[in-house]
Amino acid sequence: MYKIISEETDKSGMKVLNIDKADLIELMEDYRNRRYYLSSITGVDMKDHIDVIYHIHNFDKNDYICVKISTSDEKVPSIANIWKAAVVDEREQYDLMGIIFEGHENLRRILLPDEWVGHPLRKDYDLNKVQYISMDRDGNEHVSFDDKEGW
Amino acid sequence: MSHWIELNIGPVHPSTHGIYRFRVKLNEETVEDVDITIGYLHRNAEKICELNYFVNNTIYFDRMDYIDAMNMELGYLRAVEALTDMEVPERAQWIRMIMAELSRIAARMVGIGALGLDVGMLTPFFHTFHEREKIQRIFVEASGGRQEVNYMSIGGVYQDFNDKIIEEIREFISEFKGKLEEIVKMFTDSEIFWQRNVGTGILEPDIALDYGVTGPMLRASGIPYDVRKDSPYLFYDKVNFDVPIARTKDNMGRFLVKVEELRQSIRIIEQCLAKLPDGPYFNPKTKKSAMLLLKGQGDVFTRVESESGEFGVFIRGDGGVKPYRVHARSPSFKNLAVVPIMTRGSLIADLIITIASVDAVAGEVDR
Repeated sequence: MYKIISEETDKSGMKVLNIDKADLIELMEDYRNRRYYLSSITGVDMKDHIDVIYHIHNFDKNDYICVKISTSDEKVPSIANIWKAAVVDEREQYDLMGIIFEGHENLRRILLPDEWVGHPLRKDYDLNKVQYISMDRDGNEHVSFDDKEGW
Repeated sequence: MSHWIELNIGPVHPSTHGIYRFRVKLNEETVEDVDITIGYLHRNAEKICELNYFVNNTIYFDRMDYIDAMNMELGYLRAVEALTDMEVPERAQWIRMIMAELSRIAARMVGIGALGLDVGMLTPFFHTFHEREKIQRIFVEASGGRQEVNYMSIGGVYQDFNDKIIEEIREFISEFKGKLEEIVKMFTDSEIFWQRNVGTGILEPDIALDYGVTGPMLRASGIPYDVRKDSPYLFYDKVNFDVPIARTKDNMGRFLVKVEELRQSIRIIEQCLAKLPDGPYFNPKTKKSAMLLLKGQGDVFTRVESESGEFGVFIRGDGGVKPYRVHARSPSFKNLAVVPIMTRGSLIADLIITIASVDAVAGEVDR
């Protein structure tokens, strides 16, 4: 059985559950069985750790819940097997925030090209290093730091 | 013997209504699989928001769903106002509601017009764009902007409604009622439109829920979920309107739901105009110079119903004058992800109609 570390209400009046990341799958499966659906996944880089925030929603009761976990090694279990909506959300958070969702069958970048270096929404991402993209005849994108090799 | 072809549709193709690419695996004319590649428009609005003051970010939200800019900035401002405990005067809220509904009508006009375009019907497109143009003139009158309006501001709206604008809106609404029926008739009179839309792009309700689909797509699958009804914001609980659903689950159902929502939007605007009170149109606390010093701490997640579904904004503030993290839950991002399921095994021609009926706006998909 999962354990809820603390429960609070945020400024917009939403219920927030803080849990340990080891309990995530069990809690989400329980809510899935109670006809909750995934709305969004957000990653927040807190410099020494990453918070991962899930918003889930029940359409019948109109109940919105926020589930918060934190991870210090960038790894969290994937919930893509529970809700298909998590497939694209987890890919987005992996792409921009660099969170590794363990158990996701197809964890590759979704917005940026596969060769892109770094995760732009990290706080330590260097915005001054410009990366240039080009596309070959087969439609594959290539990334380079050299401004002569891209758009 | 079957022949496999991989066909690229997009990134810039009349049917993609924006910039995204479909890599379609074809077996003769049947779609075997679709891989959607997005990110061509990606402007990293979420990162830019971290570098700006709270007040400066409204314009980046305008540019997400650039067809329905009013609802986008409303989504952001609701989150900022919740985070900074900012109250909005009553008159400003009614004005916001009128503008949000006008924007929804304008966006829907593009949506159904483009659907007709993909079927091959050019005429309704000109009529719908003509109607959209009238709304944009009202927006210019009120804010000075046509497409990216930047009309709402933290704690109110940028400029009060004067009598001329109210008169223009009244006039538009009374003309639009008849015009809408005329436009709808153009679609429904066409045998081709029925043939192409009925029974194509089927989306089962279970799959829609599993994929996080919202908006007209979910309602056309028979689930009456509308943020305006389920958790009312502004004064949506003080006006009468219905949430239409369709049980056909196909492209025609989505079209009919969108049309019925247009009629409901007119109903809402009429009631708003009748109830519009006098009073201040912005919170006096928000002096222009003090806006840059606005601080917020904690997490908020607020939602609005945009043209394509539930638009949520998450903001974490660390007590400073800039947001620590902003995340937008965009409806089209989820709605597009379900397209491969809807089109697997159908004809390539049906894929084009299904993409059009999803009505995804690229700026909102990859933000």
